[in-house]
Amino acid sequence: MRGRPNLYTSYSSESRLFPTRTQQVAIGIAFLLLLLMPFDLPVIDQIPLIRFLGDNSWLRVVNRMLIFCIAALGLNILSGLGGQVSLGHAFFMGVGAYTAVLVGGPGSANLWGWGLPIWIWLPASGVVAAVVGILVAPAAVRVRGLYLAITTLGLVFIGLHLSRVFPEIAGPGSLGRKWPKLELRLWKEENPILDFSRDGHWFWFDISDNQKTYYFLLALLTVFALWAANLARTRTGRALAAIRDQDVAAEIMGVPETKYKTIAFAISSCYAGVAGALLASISGQMPPEAWDLILSVEFVAILLIGGMGRVSGALAGTFFVVLSPRFVEEIIEWMTKQAEGDGAFSGLWDSIISLGSGDFGIVSISETALGYPIPYSALDEIIYGALIVIFMLFEPLGLYGIWINVRNYWKGWPFSY
Amino acid sequence: MTATLAEPENAFLEDITETVASLARQWAKNCPKQIALREKDFGIWQEYTWEKTWDLILDAAHALLALNIQPGDRVSIQSEDRPEWVILDLAAVAVRGVTVGLYPTNPTTEVEYLLTDCGSAVHFAEDQEQVDRVLDIDQTLLPKLTHILYTEPRGVVSYDDGRLLYWEDFLEIGRTHRQDNNGAVEKRMSEAQGDDVMTLVYTSGTTGPPKGAMLTNDNVGFALTRLTGENGLRGKRKPTSDDLVLTYLPLCHVAERIFSTWHLVSCGLTLNFAESIDTVQLNLREIQPTIFFAVPRIWERMHASVLIKGNDATLFKRILLKIGLKLASIIGKEKVSNNGKHTIKSWVLNLIGYPIIFRSLLERIGLRRCWHAGSGAAPISSEILEFFMGIGVPVYELYGMTENSAVATTNRPGRLKLGTVGEPYEDIGFRIDEETGEIQTKHPGVFLGYWNKPERTAEAFTEDGWLRTGDVGEWVDGTHVRIVDRMKDIIITSGGKNISPSEIENSLKASIYVKEAMVIGDQRKFLSALIGIELETVGDWALRKNIPYTTYRDLSEKEEVIELIQSVVNETNEKFARVETIRKFQMIPKELDHEDGELTATQKIKRTAMTDMFSDLVESMYQ
Repeated sequence: MRGRPNLYTSYSSESRLFPTRTQQVAIGIAFLLLLLMPFDLPVIDQIPLIRFLGDNSWLRVVNRMLIFCIAALGLNILSGLGGQVSLGHAFFMGVGAYTAVLVGGPGSANLWGWGLPIWIWLPASGVVAAVVGILVAPAAVRVRGLYLAITTLGLVFIGLHLSRVFPEIAGPGSLGRKWPKLELRLWKEENPILDFSRDGHWFWFDISDNQKTYYFLLALLTVFALWAANLARTRTGRALAAIRDQDVAAEIMGVPETKYKTIAFAISSCYAGVAGALLASISGQMPPEAWDLILSVEFVAILLIGGMGRVSGALAGTFFVVLSPRFVEEIIEWMTKQAEGDGAFSGLWDSIISLGSGDFGIVSISETALGYPIPYSALDEIIYGALIVIFMLFEPLGLYGIWINVRNYWKGWPFSY
Repeated sequence: MTATLAEPENAFLEDITETVASLARQWAKNCPKQIALREKDFGIWQEYTWEKTWDLILDAAHALLALNIQPGDRVSIQSEDRPEWVILDLAAVAVRGVTVGLYPTNPTTEVEYLLTDCGSAVHFAEDQEQVDRVLDIDQTLLPKLTHILYTEPRGVVSYDDGRLLYWEDFLEIGRTHRQDNNGAVEKRMSEAQGDDVMTLVYTSGTTGPPKGAMLTNDNVGFALTRLTGENGLRGKRKPTSDDLVLTYLPLCHVAERIFSTWHLVSCGLTLNFAESIDTVQLNLREIQPTIFFAVPRIWERMHASVLIKGNDATLFKRILLKIGLKLASIIGKEKVSNNGKHTIKSWVLNLIGYPIIFRSLLERIGLRRCWHAGSGAAPISSEILEFFMGIGVPVYELYGMTENSAVATTNRPGRLKLGTVGEPYEDIGFRIDEETGEIQTKHPGVFLGYWNKPERTAEAFTEDGWLRTGDVGEWVDGTHVRIVDRMKDIIITSGGKNISPSEIENSLKASIYVKEAMVIGDQRKFLSALIGIELETVGDWALRKNIPYTTYRDLSEKEEVIELIQSVVNETNEKFARVETIRKFQMIPKELDHEDGELTATQKIKRTAMTDMFSDLVESMYQ
């Protein structure tokens, strides 16, 4: 029935992703903006925050963010939806990355690599990671909570160790090896059909490598996000939510815990594997140490800040965590300029920024200084730590929780409940 | 009768008497894919198309034939509103049976009285609770009752009683019978007569036992032409198949039957069954009905819930809501003084109020799409009507009773007069007796008589054959009718003054803190009142004032609460003449209940029972 958003006459209408016309239009417009963003378009490049995407250096960060989004969505399925804390996400990303380099990377005398095209190495990275996830899952069924976190943490160290045992895969020492580029070939022919890693010309437009990569990653992310959103409203999704809320009760209701935890690990690892392969590919070269605990913790932070259990939460969290260091950098740079100059408020900015030794300020622009004043390179980590504490204390549901509060305020209008 | 139907297919159909069942068949034939019923099950509104509905009606009708229901046999139904109610009702009419509705709240003693009085042959008892009531009755008292149908098997399947029959099995019997005797129901339908009794509607009976009013096919047919036709309830606009109705009041009451079942078959709109009376608010929000009927009690509760929820809102919302309610009261007054139409002033104010408050408020109470709402069955206070008018729900008070198929008077859009029950319908016999002031009607909708009670039937009619409604009314401006009171409720004080208690009671009940009020004073020196508080609102008030309380009785006997009620009484006293003021009042120490005999099934106070039960309270006021 038109104009009756709460009148559900079938389960499919009740569980639609975008139930109302308003939401459909909003998501359509948002997607259109995302498509137009990397260009210098007349109106769009005037919108603050969005304008910067025309800029290549920003686009590089955004591409990195899109990959992190995929990985975060994966962890969200395991931790947010299934309630299983995991510190081993970096390990699964590593598994994906090394699968990619093994399948798609160039081989040589002391490096293994089969040089296969992207349509083999990218799915392979997901599948292999998923298989490893399935192997790990039984441990998760036996332990939970903190113990599971420690168990999965062990995976990260096992991964580091394996990278040393197999230098043929991981490359020599801490240098790492070169990953296959994002380019589409049918097989091993000379010229790729689509090359995302070089500037080119699509239709009537000149398009840079970053812009191409952006579109490729955006398409992938859309697929993965829809998959994640759909998963939450299937039988599997409901089973996982039941296990998250009370695993014993779920088991008693007839939800096979082992089976669904295994599925959660498999899907989550698959996301991580693909994200790992992509991340390594756009980075070009990565040492094994890149897949360490810090990376895992970063994803936990993303979920905590963004909000557990929701696709939109995971996306918002990633946006925040990946882009905020860049924003902090920009702000400090701007403040420094102000402090050095003689604008009306230069005194105010000068009191925050310490320009050199002896100058008063909280933030130091010196790269090498440690302790107080705070070196600006360490600033984003501090902010991010503070944010986690703040979110845990005041808004455990994260950015998503803030959104829910705002939405409920208007939904309840003119009452409060 | 109703012009909304397509041409009948052949002469054979043209000849037959139109019944609610034959109307339903027409809809099934003309619009088979249209939604007729919706019922919420497992969290989803399950839909019944006309095709499916008629199919079920036919199955049920064939099953009734298989159970040997003869013309004139009674089929009784005691159930909450649900599709089975309507299906069995229409099926019974199809086989020329008589539907008898019982309130789901009727206790065993009343069920025993009703079933023995009507002598039903097949009884539909919804679930274990209702089945228990019938099984508790001595079988020898119900010799005709051969089958008890139930539709909720939980708890009943283990019962060992030959009369019990599961609804699905009942339908299965019908399907078998339908295969073997195709057309038997259609044949029975074609034999229907205009003066066939199609339903017994038991009037609630504030005095004495309930009486079953016999309504015939012609009664209902006439009522439908008057209520849903041109110049009916809604003036020029007629309900169409796009309209939605929420069915939530007991279907055995003539009002809900009219607004649900009979509107369904005459206008082809969609009935949506509320899950229960407790979820009405939620279901309203989901369904957003376009046509709505409620008794004053429901309107009062809606009004109170807006005020209470408004008090709980955050500061900014509270301020805006206050402004909105202020606007609503101005708009309401303007509209009411302009026959229910917008004036320029109210139109402009509405333009301001609608986007900020009214739209979302209407959405919340579930009446945003409602273009016609009725209030009836009891008097409603003007404040409540003004409030709903102000926020944009067009509520029209109407008047009628079971005995005249509810065809008497109504307020129509654009011709509303506050405080009246509107104008009589066109071309009906309607008069106010000059001597007694009693309202009397005479038209084809007037009932045949009371079932098995010829002497009560005789009492109901005047010597020249007009129906005595028992209500005292008076003309307002020569066109509209105002109801003064029930004739037998009018109080004559020892000073010889005639006073209508219901006006005073309504004024008291307009306060959100008062749920029940009964004015006493017959043969007394002054007026007094028994007042029952509304637990929800007074409880909320006490919470805010930090007054601790335990039970209903404890709360109503708190000094602060008595003071609160005193202020309500004072407000009311200001509106009335000196002889009509309430000098003393006492709190009713319990929540009144149907089962305890203080209220009728329609929640009206039984005055005699009340004065007996609380005689010490009453006497204490006159010492």
